[in-house]
Amino acid sequence: MLGIGKARGSLGTERAQEALAGYGFIGIPMALFLIFNIGALFYSAYISLWRWEILGPTEFLGFRNYAFILRDEVFHTAIKNSIYYTIIVVPIQMAIGLTLAVVVNQIWRGRSFFRAAFYFPAIASSAAITVLYIYIMAPDGLFNHLLELIGINPLGFHNQGNWLGNSDTALNSIIGLNAWTTSGTMMLFYLGQLTAIPTEAYEAARVDGAGPWTSFWRITFPLLRPAHYLVATVSVIGALQMFDQAYIAGGSGGDPAYALMTMVLYLYNSAFRQFEFGYAAAVGIVLFVIIFTATLVQRRLFGTSDWSSAR
Amino acid sequence: MKTTWEEKSIMRRLLLLAASAALALSACGGGGGGGGTFDPNSVSGTVVLSGWQASPEEGQALNAALAGFKAKYPKITVDYEPIAGDYPTAMVAKFSAHQPPDVFYVDSGVAPDWIKQGVLQSLDDWSSSRGFDTSQFYPGYLNAFKGTDGKTYGYPKDGNTLAMAYNPDMLSAAGVQPPTTYDEMMTVGAALKSKGMVAYSMSTTLDRILAFVYGDGGSLLSSDKKSDAIDSKFKDAVSFYLNLFKMGYAKSPSQLGVDWNGKALGEKKAAIIFEGGWLDSYMKGTFPTVPYKWVAIPKGAAGQATLGFTVSYSIGKDSAHKDAAWLLLTYLTGPDGMKLWTQGGVANPSRKDVPAPAGKDVLVSSASFAHPWSFIPGFSKVSDAFNNSFEAAVEGKGSVDDVVSKTKSALDQQLNQP
Repeated sequence: MLGIGKARGSLGTERAQEALAGYGFIGIPMALFLIFNIGALFYSAYISLWRWEILGPTEFLGFRNYAFILRDEVFHTAIKNSIYYTIIVVPIQMAIGLTLAVVVNQIWRGRSFFRAAFYFPAIASSAAITVLYIYIMAPDGLFNHLLELIGINPLGFHNQGNWLGNSDTALNSIIGLNAWTTSGTMMLFYLGQLTAIPTEAYEAARVDGAGPWTSFWRITFPLLRPAHYLVATVSVIGALQMFDQAYIAGGSGGDPAYALMTMVLYLYNSAFRQFEFGYAAAVGIVLFVIIFTATLVQRRLFGTSDWSSAR
Repeated sequence: MKTTWEEKSIMRRLLLLAASAALALSACGGGGGGGGTFDPNSVSGTVVLSGWQASPEEGQALNAALAGFKAKYPKITVDYEPIAGDYPTAMVAKFSAHQPPDVFYVDSGVAPDWIKQGVLQSLDDWSSSRGFDTSQFYPGYLNAFKGTDGKTYGYPKDGNTLAMAYNPDMLSAAGVQPPTTYDEMMTVGAALKSKGMVAYSMSTTLDRILAFVYGDGGSLLSSDKKSDAIDSKFKDAVSFYLNLFKMGYAKSPSQLGVDWNGKALGEKKAAIIFEGGWLDSYMKGTFPTVPYKWVAIPKGAAGQATLGFTVSYSIGKDSAHKDAAWLLLTYLTGPDGMKLWTQGGVANPSRKDVPAPAGKDVLVSSASFAHPWSFIPGFSKVSDAFNNSFEAAVEGKGSVDDVVSKTKSALDQQLNQP
């Protein structure tokens, strides 16, 4: 009796110590997360109620910053651009990412080479790639030369081959850029989930006479649901926060003709060109609400009730 | 695009900045100085000097000027800390922490914002009590740093104007002389077009077009900067500029497949451009064999006018070493320091009593009819509105009336902000 009780006691202490160490390890990142993510979120909500300039708050405005944002035509353009961009770029990224993942998953020789090659644009600096892309898409750049090689005269287009400089094609060109650079990351997410699909499912399907096409649509695609959810969520959040490519290709003004004005570029301008930090914080909160809503909607559409299975 | 969790988002940077602003809010120091007897030789200490550096040559020229300062004021040490990257953002962080450099560059475009936000020291009390003559500065540069209160918050360290650079071979191939009036610009444009050349590479931005607005007697703002002055002359000048595009005489750098007008001149894609002194080092380095000449910008209906771009040396309101900062500021913007800074040709003097460096006569003398590129707080929204609507007009998606109305409403919006 006594012996058992003693053993229980020491087991309890051990567990308590283990738990303490666990909380200790969680505590530090949790504190940083609470201060710099959650705390900052609440603090920016507070700032957004003020006229807040370089040296701090000067006047309490209540919700007037928000009212002003909703009236500003440039912000309307920014929202329109960001949403258009997201709606177009996310399915493209998902489709290319999935295709690459399925292809890479089926080849055995040189598999790591292709995986690395497809992922390469994602690890290269987005500023460097954007500058490269500007040269490629210039009126006398590589892209137009390729068009000429296959017999298409770029001057025949109404933008005269000026892809990034024309307001009709600038944003679509950036969509092309990001579909290229981000698909590698999406491929990796899909690859992780692909390897988790049991081979028995395919074997059973083959016995039932299913071809590769049917297998893909009946087995692979539905079983990738957690990956679809993850990829869609990550892409949508990333797309709604698009900034660097627009800034580098179109400057801080979102040129040409506001075609490259995005919500985050608008936020950047409010803070660092107009020095209105309260207003910029309000833009940040609006952006947060939009992204949060989009994520909730996606969770409803694609998500499972169990968050962990999405990983 | 990076995935979100690994990206240090702009919003987070902004929040940190705002947080540091709040922390630093409690201690608001600063305050005047000046008054009493001021003995420059008794001032000692270390002054922090910040700015950006565009080329190694600029660094050498600044070192020469700082050596001159050291010889004159041996008790003052200058700690030069150039800022790489996004200068206004870096400076805003320093201002909000109440720890700005003592002396620093302020671009004329951002000066009204920083003056309004109260981060710059006004200099008028000192210039009168300590005897610093500001009459030798070209008004087109000095006025860029005047606040709406009439006080001066910086002295121009140098200045640049827009002038016309042209390729003489291309013009003579078309059998024309460089245009001297806006009307001649049209005929020269037609002559080059008939030979299959593009006459002008022209930016679709307000920081070029406004020079032509002033030339036609138009303006953006009333002289007290309290109301807008956009009228039919403004519209006429914008129509003229847009017409050059419509007629095919002018193309924008992006239409020509270059990143700026200088490259269009260098690659002979256009014969004439309107730029400033920054073109010279570029042409020398990138297109040393392409010939080009400078002449003053053509005359408009109201005479000759151009834009002046300048950068000041200013003193931080929170500077702890204002006396030493004042001595450094007035040395660098005074005749001796400015001569050392400009004589190598990295910049043009903003003072009439400093001689123009070799080959810079046109750009320096144009300062006498230059209007400063400096307007009201929040002006970047106005120039964005103009630029984006003008680009739309060049693409045929808008009219001059749209440009005028969008610019006017953006301007009025900024003017009506408390």
